[in-house]
Amino acid sequence: MIDELKQDLLVQYLLHEVDTATAEQIRAELESNAELREFVRETEEAFASMAYAAPPMAPPVGLPLRILQMERNLSRGPSPAPRSKLIWLVLPWALAACLAIACVVLDLERTRLQKETGQVGQELLALQQKNVRIEEELAMLQKKNVLAEIRIATLRAQVAAYETASAVVVWDKNQKSGVLQLDRLPPPAPGKDYQLWVIDPNIAQPVSAGLLAVPNDGLIRTSFQPATPIESASAFAISVEKAGGAPKPEGQIILAGK
Amino acid sequence: MGAAQTVPSEAAWSDWNISIQANYGDHKRGCARSMTRSAQESDNEFEARLISRIAEGDDSAFDALYERFSGSLYGMAYRMMNDAKEAEDVLQEGFTYIWRKAATYDPNRSSPFAWAVMITRNKAIDRLRVRQRLEKLRERVTSEESFYQDTDETSANEPTLRERGALVRSALQQIPQEQRQALELSFFGGLTHEQIAQRLDTPLGTIKARIRRGLLRLRDCLKEGL
Repeated sequence: MIDELKQDLLVQYLLHEVDTATAEQIRAELESNAELREFVRETEEAFASMAYAAPPMAPPVGLPLRILQMERNLSRGPSPAPRSKLIWLVLPWALAACLAIACVVLDLERTRLQKETGQVGQELLALQQKNVRIEEELAMLQKKNVLAEIRIATLRAQVAAYETASAVVVWDKNQKSGVLQLDRLPPPAPGKDYQLWVIDPNIAQPVSAGLLAVPNDGLIRTSFQPATPIESASAFAISVEKAGGAPKPEGQIILAGK
Repeated sequence: MGAAQTVPSEAAWSDWNISIQANYGDHKRGCARSMTRSAQESDNEFEARLISRIAEGDDSAFDALYERFSGSLYGMAYRMMNDAKEAEDVLQEGFTYIWRKAATYDPNRSSPFAWAVMITRNKAIDRLRVRQRLEKLRERVTSEESFYQDTDETSANEPTLRERGALVRSALQQIPQEQRQALELSFFGGLTHEQIAQRLDTPLGTIKARIRRGLLRLRDCLKEGL
């Protein structure tokens, strides 16, 4: 005799309302207990018979054939997809293939560009080195040019009293200015000043380049610039003028040179 | 098997449904007697052989089993789903399962029909749970009116099926209303004992007892009827 609690449990087992472990335990019991097995069988029969209580209905026509076709298609594997579906099936793969090809092409291009970049880098380095050499040559040429633009004139005494004096003028043609170095020039007489002149062949009168202040040691090193702009300096002269100088040479020329 | 009945429209439901009282009221007390046990056993054996042939991939056996069971199973599925298309899907899933798992059928554990019913019912319950249509079905099942009806038996041209339907309905008539209600909620509503207890606001133990007693009473009536 099966007690009611057990019967309740078996009914729940029958209706799949027990957990997996309990179901497993009941299955084991059923294997060894014919009474339990018979109870479950009869109860299931009674429960299943309730299906008859629902009014029977005309079943769908052709359903078995449909089921069998589907099952056989499944066992044969996927059937060919319709064209529209095929497109959607193929499209992702096509895109993936295009992407893969694009990746390969881009990778090759990258390799090529890297190679070219290396070559360009080497060429650039060579050009930079060449540029350095050119700059060096240019600097050298400029240096040569600077020298070309410089005029050096030695002034010689025009009067015996100043024979011991020596004077050199370095004239920069571009800057239109120069440097004068005088040595052993005696101080000017009272009320007099030494005045430097620049002779431009294009200008009728020598152009004043300023008064010379003579220190006690008689050594003068001074830069000068003509009072008015000149095109070129062909000669230089120093004269003794009244104190404060003169706009044009009036006194004696004591030193002169080209 | 031609246990056919057209699917009633929504508008026809009110006419189609007959209350339990009206449906069972005229039946005499006690279990109906219609089929013989030997006929039932013969049916079971034949259907078990069909399942055995299905397991071997026999299409004609599959057709034959479908012919025998589909009317009842479709009616049951329709009763559970309340939707012809969904009932058809359930039927298809159930028979697909039968085709695939025929080799697992054990005649010592259950009859072919009970096996097919439990398979189809489980498919229906899966759908019911997924689609969360239980609430609507609960209302229908617990209503005072029953879906059972006798008047359409003329459309069922399969005598055996008619007899079985009459037998079960007669057996159900003998079960107290509370037990029958719990059984209906379980079988057609797909509800668990616990869900039925909540639905009816009744202790779980009481529901278990009602279902157990209802099933035992049904079993005894069916045995007596056979």
